[in-house]
Amino acid sequence: MKKQNRAGSRLLIGLTFLFLYAPIVLLIIFSFNAGDSSAVWKGFSLHWYAKLFQNRLIMSSVYTTLLVSLLATAIATAAGTFAAIGLYSLGRKRREALLTVNNIPMVNADIVTGVSMCLFFVAFFQGWGTFAKWFNSIQSAVVLPERLVLGFTTLLLAHVAFNIPYVILNVAPKLRQMDRNLMDAAQDLGCTWMQAFWKVMLPEIKPGIVSGALISFTMSIDDFIISYFTAGSASSTLAMAIYGMTKKRVTPEINAVSTLLFLSVLVLLVLSNLKEVRQEARNRLNAARRPSALERLGQKAGEPRYRWVRRGAAAVLACAFVCTVTVLAHETGSRPVVNVCSMGEYIDESLIDQFEDATGIRVNYQTAESNEALYSLLKSGGADYDVVVCSDYMAGRFIQEDMVEKLDYSLIPNFSLMDERFLHLDFDPASEYTVPYTWGTLGIIYNTAMVEEEIDSWSALYDDRYAGDVLLINNSRDALAEALFYLGYSVNTTDEAQIREAYELVADASRRKVFQGRVSDEVFQKMEGNNAAIATYYAGDYISMLENNEDLAFVIPKEGSNWFVDSMLMIKDAPHRREGHMWMDFIASTDASLANMDYIGYASPNREALERYPAYYQELYEEELDPEIYEIMVAPDEVLARCEPYHNLPAATLNLYNALWTQLGVD
Amino acid sequence: MKNKLSWFAVPYVVWMALMVVIPILIMVVYAFTTAEFQGTLENFSEMGTYTSVFLRSFRLAIVATLVCLLIGYPVSYWMAHEGPGFQRVAMALIMLPMWMNFLLRTYSWMSILENNGLLNQFFKAIGLLKVMGVDHIPMIGTSGAVVLGMVYNYLPFMILPIYSVIVKLDGSLLEAARDLGANSAGVFRKVILPLSLPGVLSGVTMVFVPSVSTFAISRLLGGGTQIMLGDLIEQQFLGGAYDPHLGAAISMVMMVIVVVCMFVMNRFGEGEEEAVML
Repeated sequence: MKKQNRAGSRLLIGLTFLFLYAPIVLLIIFSFNAGDSSAVWKGFSLHWYAKLFQNRLIMSSVYTTLLVSLLATAIATAAGTFAAIGLYSLGRKRREALLTVNNIPMVNADIVTGVSMCLFFVAFFQGWGTFAKWFNSIQSAVVLPERLVLGFTTLLLAHVAFNIPYVILNVAPKLRQMDRNLMDAAQDLGCTWMQAFWKVMLPEIKPGIVSGALISFTMSIDDFIISYFTAGSASSTLAMAIYGMTKKRVTPEINAVSTLLFLSVLVLLVLSNLKEVRQEARNRLNAARRPSALERLGQKAGEPRYRWVRRGAAAVLACAFVCTVTVLAHETGSRPVVNVCSMGEYIDESLIDQFEDATGIRVNYQTAESNEALYSLLKSGGADYDVVVCSDYMAGRFIQEDMVEKLDYSLIPNFSLMDERFLHLDFDPASEYTVPYTWGTLGIIYNTAMVEEEIDSWSALYDDRYAGDVLLINNSRDALAEALFYLGYSVNTTDEAQIREAYELVADASRRKVFQGRVSDEVFQKMEGNNAAIATYYAGDYISMLENNEDLAFVIPKEGSNWFVDSMLMIKDAPHRREGHMWMDFIASTDASLANMDYIGYASPNREALERYPAYYQELYEEELDPEIYEIMVAPDEVLARCEPYHNLPAATLNLYNALWTQLGVD
Repeated sequence: MKNKLSWFAVPYVVWMALMVVIPILIMVVYAFTTAEFQGTLENFSEMGTYTSVFLRSFRLAIVATLVCLLIGYPVSYWMAHEGPGFQRVAMALIMLPMWMNFLLRTYSWMSILENNGLLNQFFKAIGLLKVMGVDHIPMIGTSGAVVLGMVYNYLPFMILPIYSVIVKLDGSLLEAARDLGANSAGVFRKVILPLSLPGVLSGVTMVFVPSVSTFAISRLLGGGTQIMLGDLIEQQFLGGAYDPHLGAAISMVMMVIVVVCMFVMNRFGEGEEEAVML
């Protein structure tokens, strides 16, 4: 009976471990997949590992993650230990009051901690800006930076802040267990306070410090939410990089990086466990036999004479660490930089390398999920961008809200190559603020293998027949525009009743569970992997998808659709204006435009590039470009005539959009 | 000497005021103001429209916490009764996934639960889909997937504190109970369960709080159609609908509800807040 019980309990424990590890094992297996799917096995290959080391985003985020976790652990452990000693010597009442405050970050949800810190930092930066301006104006000996932004420092501060409570909670019980008279006794016997601390107190509370440090490190490595709100744009942790990537096309590079992380942690754990086991065995044996020569040598290192060896080694390690950090910081700090943020992921990344090689300017390229998310990023003060890429209506909003600067077109000679059709548009009538980047149309993408009939109307999005197979585009403007087109209203309407009617159409379909999900760049993975049948997205992205799934078709519905121009803008008071202009000029050049057109599938506004693209394609792939595809990519004028661009809407309408969009997820 | 030592607490008090108390106060200020920083209660009066989000978040988080408890308690209980070697390895194995970031762990479920993912392929291979007459069993984008993601991610947070309490239980207490005539069910109910309650309470806190406020899990596994409190807040700060004042108000309401829940629960358990982890 007893034995049976044990088998049963082991079975449950085994099943739990299976549950915990099966996904990880699958993740690891698919890191060796030759194909780029994480669900279809196409043979063994190591090439994702090779690619991983070339992926700057992942590598730098791994570096940031490790650095911030190690530094935060070290700082929090030291600070937390001293704080615990201080708390322990306070009276009971005050101690308990402080410990209650100490518990706040642990009881609070991460998102509340993250949000409150983000607001705090931004408020501090604003105050600091005013102070620095005033301070710089009254004297000139010390120049204070006037513009601070979220970045590595704030990330580190936040991590230290949420780690300290864990250290205190682990050290405090050990202090309580310690005999208070020990310290007094040591001092009575002639120790200074410092000596007593090192020789008596520290060894007593060491287990608490070690486990506190361990928990801090675990929490730092595992954290995503607090980093997300405090890291800003310049430094992203691995978790943020992955979150960014899961919204787009996930590549097995993530599997590769997970595998490496998992293995290194596994090795560390095995080593430390082995050490413990061996220590125990040695303790048991020691009583019985004389120590071997090797062990005696090992013990000698613990003797005072050899202690300097250990201290020296520790010092060398610490120095090496500090040097690496400073060298890296210097390396990244001394080169001129341009910070670019684009909504959505669309650039040929080799262009970044080309630009860097040609100019020596480092490009820090980030993406925001949508136009609206880019706006939030800029508004919340988390962003340190020079150049942003966004759609026409959002460019209009940036200009209207005085968030961007006028450009110096003499620094952008390639601007003259832009096609007149994409200049002097509604959002920037005098063409003072923008350099067009791409243009295209919005349409329905559907899988002909999963949908039997031909789709030619927006009605397909709200049709019960396709319930569970439709993907709703995850931004308020496009999602409501589709409904407005279907209802026959203008997409720039400010009539609340019309907008509400459109919203009701979408919300009703959502309630009927027509939509499988709300997606942005996840659409690639979903449509290419036959995970959904119908989606709405941009013509350029359809062309990328078609390369991976031939069953997909693109249609501009008969009710009409949106055509857009995405542009590059310079953020107000950008710290790297010259570099920003150079970047814009480079991107506008014909060569870069051609490469980009081919890579991302969006049409360029560059006249020469538009003309030369079919020839460029033929030269590159040695086959003719399908004219139908060229027409989808570079929509002819008669198609554009059926389409309507978005204009920036008045504040009241924008608020309505926001409120409705928030509401959509609610019901 | 004692007074000298208490100076050690001063930097810490300053730090706490700066990094914990002031940020929360700023959040409260945001919650009670408009975009032009004029006092208002509008952010809270709007809250009624989000009742369904509150309910959904709390419902899913409670389900996830219960599932974690149902799996976590017996596992920790039985693990504490194994040999020391087994325990050491088992603890290491439970900690190990936490050192891979939680987004990696969530991501690993995405490829499994997709309509065309590994599980559906498996069902197809064994002919289950044909029997049921469907193309796929929808898993991703459902609230079940979200709960699964929470359980998967936070199960270690339930197991660790319960285990650390049970493993420290005084064996002689159990013997005494048995000697006094309690059967094993009685020993469990009258001795083990009450003594392990602090561990259970801290486990429940550590699973419930992150579950109720998550946004990455609901976004990745829930498809973003069924938004939760975390999503709602994230949307107001860095997402598609910029309104930090409303976001702060929602955060505040959530914070108050969670703190009240925890307070009531701890009162009820009279728990010693020592069993944090390990």
